[in-house]
Amino acid sequence: MHELSLAIEIGRLAEERLGPSVARCVTVGVEVGSACGVEPSALEFCLEAVFSYPPWAGAKPAITRPDGDIFQVTYFEIEDDDGPPD
Amino acid sequence: MTVRRIEVRERVMARNDELAATVRDRLARHHVTAINLMSSPGSGKTTLLERTLSVLGDPLDIAVVAGDCQTQNDADRLAAHTGRLVQAVVTGGACHLDALQVNDALDHLDLDRTRLLIIENVGNLVCPASWDLGENARVVLFAVTEGEDKPLKYPKMFETADWVVLTKTDLLPYVPFDAERALRYCLQVNPRLKFVQVSAMTGQGMDAWFDVVRQVVAPLVRV
Repeated sequence: MHELSLAIEIGRLAEERLGPSVARCVTVGVEVGSACGVEPSALEFCLEAVFSYPPWAGAKPAITRPDGDIFQVTYFEIEDDDGPPD
Repeated sequence: MTVRRIEVRERVMARNDELAATVRDRLARHHVTAINLMSSPGSGKTTLLERTLSVLGDPLDIAVVAGDCQTQNDADRLAAHTGRLVQAVVTGGACHLDALQVNDALDHLDLDRTRLLIIENVGNLVCPASWDLGENARVVLFAVTEGEDKPLKYPKMFETADWVVLTKTDLLPYVPFDAERALRYCLQVNPRLKFVQVSAMTGQGMDAWFDVVRQVVAPLVRV
């Protein structure tokens, strides 16, 4: 439950930042510090669940594990159309 | 298609921490001190609170926010010991209280008539440690029926606490609990921890606990 509420909060934070672009978001980078009290595999499972429902369209969590108690979203990767061909 | 990266670096707990700051401001404006009471399930939070309310409830104008996954049994039990409002937060399965729930609960309390707010968190030694509720002091209950190594198994809870209340000490003759070892483990994870040992059943040590409560409230007493 803990990780699910954190995953929902990450989803909320991303929607606030990206607006409708969350549908084109392919990767969400998250740092889960070794001492932050969050279980990375449970968080990954919950994030995949959150990202599989609209407005998300299947972004993948990319979790890294630095030392310390940091727990933050580090980046979003968005897939852009390159525009019409010449 | 090209992939574009947007750097953010935003702490996931930032929103909870902002709300906790709001709670802290609201309480400070009304000269209310708050204690966040945490422990594993069944270590005696509600019984300790019942005794605390019957002795200090009126003198310290104590209000309680009681959190539970389901049922408001604890709030009902506590309401029998005080005429003051005991606000139940049913988390609907969530494993901890967050600052938003506490901020909402404050709307239902008469803060002008409150000097001490006790927040009875959901019984759990893991998740509540991560959520700032806007409290002034964090108190962890540690029952002698648990293993002495609880502080080593759940370090974050003990690292972030100010006080450890060793509970159910009337059972010490019947359980293989080494209190000295337990306290040593507590200090190993957090050398700043302070201790009090109580039996809410027999009343032993309760005066020392009441002094702790008075001491936590004292800095904000209105003159």
